[in-house]
Amino acid sequence: MRSLTNFAPSTFEERGAAVAFTTPVLAQTRVRKDSRDQLEVLVPNLSEGRGVYVVPWKSLPLAFPMTVHDRMLHDLIAKAEGCSPDDIRKAVLEAARCGLAGGGAVAAAEAALSDDEDQRLLINYQLIVEALKAVGLESTEILKVGLTSAEGQKLTRDLMMKAAQRLALEPKELYGRIAELALMMEAIGLASSPKPARLRRLMRDLQGFRDSMTDWATDNVSEAAPIGGFCAEVAEHTVNHARNVIGQFDQAMASFEVLLRQWETKRPQIRKASSRLSWLLDGWEYLILLWNDALTQDRYSQDMAVHDIFRVIPLLPKDEGRAEQSALADKLINSHKRSVRAYVDWRSGQLDVDLVMRIETIKGRAA
Amino acid sequence: MEMRDLVALGDKLLDIDEPKFRQIVDLLEQMNDHPDIQRTIAVIRPRLVELRLHRRPTLKRLFCDPFEDLFEALGKADPVPLSVIERSLMNSLWPLVEAEVGKERMRAFRPALQAGPERKALTEAFWGECAAAVTTIAQGAVAGHFSEALDLRMNPNRTRALADIAVLLSIAPEIMELKAALSPKPVPKLHGDHIEAIQTIGRRLSRARPESLRIFILLAASRLTDPSVLLSGLWDMDLGQKSTDRATLFMQLSGTVVAQIEDRSRSWQDTPASDRMAVADLALDLVASLDATRAAMEHSRNKEFDQRLKQVRNSVHTMVKTQVLQDADAGIVAAIGALEGGSEGRAQLAQAENHARALRKCATIADTLGLRGELREMTQKTTASLTEKAQQALGGPAGSTRTGYTAIRMIELIAGPAEANKIMDDIMSSGRR
Repeated sequence: MRSLTNFAPSTFEERGAAVAFTTPVLAQTRVRKDSRDQLEVLVPNLSEGRGVYVVPWKSLPLAFPMTVHDRMLHDLIAKAEGCSPDDIRKAVLEAARCGLAGGGAVAAAEAALSDDEDQRLLINYQLIVEALKAVGLESTEILKVGLTSAEGQKLTRDLMMKAAQRLALEPKELYGRIAELALMMEAIGLASSPKPARLRRLMRDLQGFRDSMTDWATDNVSEAAPIGGFCAEVAEHTVNHARNVIGQFDQAMASFEVLLRQWETKRPQIRKASSRLSWLLDGWEYLILLWNDALTQDRYSQDMAVHDIFRVIPLLPKDEGRAEQSALADKLINSHKRSVRAYVDWRSGQLDVDLVMRIETIKGRAA
Repeated sequence: MEMRDLVALGDKLLDIDEPKFRQIVDLLEQMNDHPDIQRTIAVIRPRLVELRLHRRPTLKRLFCDPFEDLFEALGKADPVPLSVIERSLMNSLWPLVEAEVGKERMRAFRPALQAGPERKALTEAFWGECAAAVTTIAQGAVAGHFSEALDLRMNPNRTRALADIAVLLSIAPEIMELKAALSPKPVPKLHGDHIEAIQTIGRRLSRARPESLRIFILLAASRLTDPSVLLSGLWDMDLGQKSTDRATLFMQLSGTVVAQIEDRSRSWQDTPASDRMAVADLALDLVASLDATRAAMEHSRNKEFDQRLKQVRNSVHTMVKTQVLQDADAGIVAAIGALEGGSEGRAQLAQAENHARALRKCATIADTLGLRGELREMTQKTTASLTEKAQQALGGPAGSTRTGYTAIRMIELIAGPAEANKIMDDIMSSGRR
């Protein structure tokens, strides 16, 4: 077991990606690859003291009794190629769709997948429009006849041929670049998009979380207030970083012609920024929903929710320039009395039915 | 803002944001004791309690300090005091106390509301005079008659409450000491220092005011999450009484605790039939109280209480049997079939999940209620039907995976993840689709 300060990860990959397990003790624990490229999971200390347990992925079902949903998710992650936030999200949605975490989770997963599909179409169309605009071609005609109609597709092909000529590129190459860019931008979307994409929405919600938590912690006599204040601070730093990354994207998109022309130099930058943004915001969605849910409940539940959030809060890694976050968290653990939640029913030692139900309800609200 | 505008807001005040709510409470406080304002305060009281707003100190509030723990519970989950004082009785009583003490004297007590060297002495003197005033008023209010002065019919509960208020005001300094020791309210578990404090203050009272000991103990119990917890501690406490007095006090508290459990055991009839989890939660709470009370009464077997507790147990037995066990299998299995039935099917499924969770929750109390066999039988029967459904759906070519996984989920909710994982592994290893 390592203390939080000792554990303090240097990179996002070392911090691991949050997994939406429904077993209370495992909820939002992080998975990463060890030095031998094997998956391992980081479980925050069970007695809510200092440190984290590092458990090999394969041994997880032996170490902790898991719900059936979590067993399936465990399998899916083991079979997936990577363990980035996007890989984990894919597995989480697939597991939720099966119905093992309840009807709410099925509906939420289907809504999320359908939203992904809509965003994919939208970003593709928007990038084509941007490409045409960049070389001075008019695209309103495509919109009139409809992008999906045969006439619309023909029109698009013709215009794209012209655009490729003006950019001195093979049409296939132009299509390839736009398709690749669309894939990288799918979760971020464009600033001008009529419906903000997932990560932009998440950043907006994180700002709301920060404001709400700051309000809650100010003038609050509860022992959880300083912990809440710390959570708001971590959210603040994360929002600032995310805002910078999104700013870089928007800047790159504003000079779209340069982006297409200098593709080889710009591509790694865009790819890195896209991956950094999903790492930055990874794990926050559940915490935001958990907090929104707690706000409708009594003070005691709010205190407990703050402790729950603190236990799995995504601290920024050292390389992101916020090395002191882990040290601050360690200090908070030492100086403040915290309520310890029993993750099992004290009467039977089995999974706490009410806690699992609460996690599933929150899962049902994610989309 | 006009007073009528504020009053018109009524229960909307429960939903507005916190800063605005605090502002409005300030405004309401600045207005006088108009009945409309009092009604509005009554509506928003649960939120006032939840936010623990520091309200403007008034003599009326100071008057209530020693007995406020006995006011009727506001929220469903709040512990019910063992000896309730109605807020309306206190509201009618206060003007009479003011008149009895006299305007001049009341004005003299005002500095008790501010910090200062004379605060403690003034406060204690204030409670002392109020106690005398309430005793006089109580003498004028004849049980069974309508009291003109209070504008209330004096039923036995109100007569008892008036006497209790007088006693509690007369021992107010000790009550304040007790409140400081048993805080924050509600106290979930009695620790050594809690017992020590009750014992020390109780001993002092039993020497000076032995008649106040009963209400003192009831007030101490009302500061606990479950008042029956105090019963088990009480027997071992040395309050400096004679053994017969101790037995009488113990019996009095036992009687009140048992009556309260009886009341709670009747409340399930108001729960909607579809909310099986609420029934299971109530059953668990009642069994915990029953166990604590029965354990405490080991020292002094009393046939009447035994009989009454047995009846409560029977009532919980019936409740679990009819509301949770009966037809559980049919309802849960049918919901799997209705999975494709749109929103109606989803509602049915949610209800079935609720039922399945209730069934599992009741497993912890089945032994105590003598329902172990029936529960095991029902669990096995339902699990067998669900396993069959899961096998058909996941094992055969024609089934729907969603139905299969939902059946597995139901098994998990009823029998736990270990059993569900085992069944899932068996199905998957015998021919995964």
